[in-house]
Amino acid sequence: MSPRFRRATGADLDSIMAIERTTFTTDAWSAATMAGELDSPHTYYLVVEDDSRPDAVVAYAGLFAPRGAAEADIQTIAVVESARGTGLGRALMRDLIAEAARRGATELFLEVRADNPAAQGLYRSLDFEQIATRPRYYQPDGVDAFVMRRALPPEAESGPDTGTAADTADAAPRDPLVLGIETSCDETGVGIVRGTALLANVISSSMDEHARYGGVVPEVAARAHLEAIEPTIRAALAEADVSLADIDAVAVTSGPGLAGALMVGVGAAKALALALDRPLYAVNHLVGHVGADLLRADGTEGAELELPTIALLVSGGHTSLLLVRDLVSDVELLGETIDDAAGEAFDKVARVLGLPYPGGPEIDRAAAEGDPRAIRFPRGLTQPKDMAKHRYNFSFSGVKTAVARWVEARQDAGEPVPVADVAASFRESVVDVLTAKAVAACIDHGIPRLLLGGGVVANARLRQLAEDRCRSAGIALRVPALSLCTDNGAMIAALGAQLIRAGHAPSGLDFGADSTLPVTDIQVA
Amino acid sequence: MLLAIDTSAGTSVAVVDGATGIAVERSVDDTMRHAEVIGALVRDCLEQAGVRPADLDGVVAGMGPGPFTGLRVGIAAARVFALARGIPLLPVVSSAAVAFEHYAAVAPNAAGNGAGRLLVVTDARRRELYWSLFDAPGESGIPTLVDGPGLATPADVPHAGEGTQRIDAARVSGVALGRLAERMRAAGADFPADHALYLRSPDVTPAAGPKRVTA
Repeated sequence: MSPRFRRATGADLDSIMAIERTTFTTDAWSAATMAGELDSPHTYYLVVEDDSRPDAVVAYAGLFAPRGAAEADIQTIAVVESARGTGLGRALMRDLIAEAARRGATELFLEVRADNPAAQGLYRSLDFEQIATRPRYYQPDGVDAFVMRRALPPEAESGPDTGTAADTADAAPRDPLVLGIETSCDETGVGIVRGTALLANVISSSMDEHARYGGVVPEVAARAHLEAIEPTIRAALAEADVSLADIDAVAVTSGPGLAGALMVGVGAAKALALALDRPLYAVNHLVGHVGADLLRADGTEGAELELPTIALLVSGGHTSLLLVRDLVSDVELLGETIDDAAGEAFDKVARVLGLPYPGGPEIDRAAAEGDPRAIRFPRGLTQPKDMAKHRYNFSFSGVKTAVARWVEARQDAGEPVPVADVAASFRESVVDVLTAKAVAACIDHGIPRLLLGGGVVANARLRQLAEDRCRSAGIALRVPALSLCTDNGAMIAALGAQLIRAGHAPSGLDFGADSTLPVTDIQVA
Repeated sequence: MLLAIDTSAGTSVAVVDGATGIAVERSVDDTMRHAEVIGALVRDCLEQAGVRPADLDGVVAGMGPGPFTGLRVGIAAARVFALARGIPLLPVVSSAAVAFEHYAAVAPNAAGNGAGRLLVVTDARRRELYWSLFDAPGESGIPTLVDGPGLATPADVPHAGEGTQRIDAARVSGVALGRLAERMRAAGADFPADHALYLRSPDVTPAAGPKRVTA
């Protein structure tokens, strides 16, 4: 099932009343009262629908919050018995809390039956505190009501110092603790964040196992994920010094990536969310790379992203140019590689030059002594005829073949191959195209910000040329720490935390691994 | 009370408890949707059984043999569920659950033994089969694995004849897997190693060096 959250309307009255009567058997509201609630301009009612069930509506909740009033109330919340334990109640509460803050309330109140410890626990975990008891409030049962209250942060999205404002507010709500799982390629990554604070970033790589094959072998990577996933979770918990019971939500990469590898993370994340009874967020790997910039490698509080921004993501599996207007709701793919990823080209050229895998660092090292102008290798998709259709797309297959031809011609003639010059010239070709297209995207869109991500950011020449060209063009360049640029679970957790902060409902349990998930699908329902 | 997960064929999840007689199973036979269905099956089993995760005291993982992409989903889920609850993982050979179910269903004859030897055969894809040979169980009800599990082409599956009954199983029951694990635990039997039974090496050969691009 994949639950859908939406505003309730008068048409939902019958469905809501059916749940109301079975949930609150002795003190259900009348249909007239409920109809008035749904109709009021001062209320905000949500329903959760699940098409796979005979009665589509499986939960509802309501808020009373006149705009401009300082105090708001949770009016009611109910989840049908068969849908409990899936995080719907928590997700509904989070949404109502966010709406109360949006309407300008500074305090949110609710009443809960004294004989319902499960609900009290949920509310406490959402930072509600018990402030009073109303004796025998619930009739005819004669059960006491606990009055609970929580402070609301000033309206969210108020700029870069939101964090400090929330931190200093009395009884400030804490961001949820999110554990992120990433298994899209050859790194098993588990990260733990609270908001934009990085608490753990543990990566177990199967790179060494791929070395003898000269590239990532999907089945080898997937087998390694299965063996690494549990130890990596343990290591992340130890690094963050938290226990699994402390985790408030789980995030996982649903795609894009290697299907068999992704499935290990998806299976593990679903089990973790169910075993802990926590909400699960299935997210996009590439958008996660952008989210990495929210974090600081030293674990100090990160900062909001400066948006909009252009993002250039370059790794062994991807070469993508994105326009990010909003991390959780608006990411556009400007272009991507039409053949090999840049990192893949580095690996293949390294093999041609007799250098080991992975090729990126090897080429970088060899190129240090070489002349980048020694050989003019082609720049893919930069000719005027290509630019009309492929302005922001990349192609690295041609340069890879050109290098191989050049080297073979030397070898056939019995001449030595100047490895340093070839490496430097090849690297210059790749890095030239990457940075030129990224800077062009910034200028074309009038966006003076460029963010780099992906493992190829480790390439010193890429960083240097990006810095030079951004400086000349008046573009602010951001490069996250390398430990956050390579594939990792912390960036997935960070994206999950932003989805929660923005009030997005959790993903259902029905998503799978999507090897070609488009970048516009930031979260998978 | 055990949660049992097997993705060696389709996906089968069960909650079993010998003490209370709980035996709830939810399965999807589709062999291509393990990652999609595993979460809902676990949730539905727990709900149907009226069991919270905290009520469980072990997670049974069907370790195969099975086609690897799907097999991993169930093992990963079982390992992480056990980790999250702080309860033991009980690895069981998936084909043993098929044998257990078979022997439990046949009435013992006058000689006291339910049946003779059983060859459990499952699909390994790529026109190959997994096979495992079991001896009928004694008092414990636990079938004894006497040969395999192995991988063979259909013509080369061993132990044909020999008075052996053969079952070609298209599904592995979560309830059978869970009940077998309960028996094994009660009898103090050794559980197999927590290793996925792929029975195949990854399909790759080490790089032979770069291929020429010029003729």
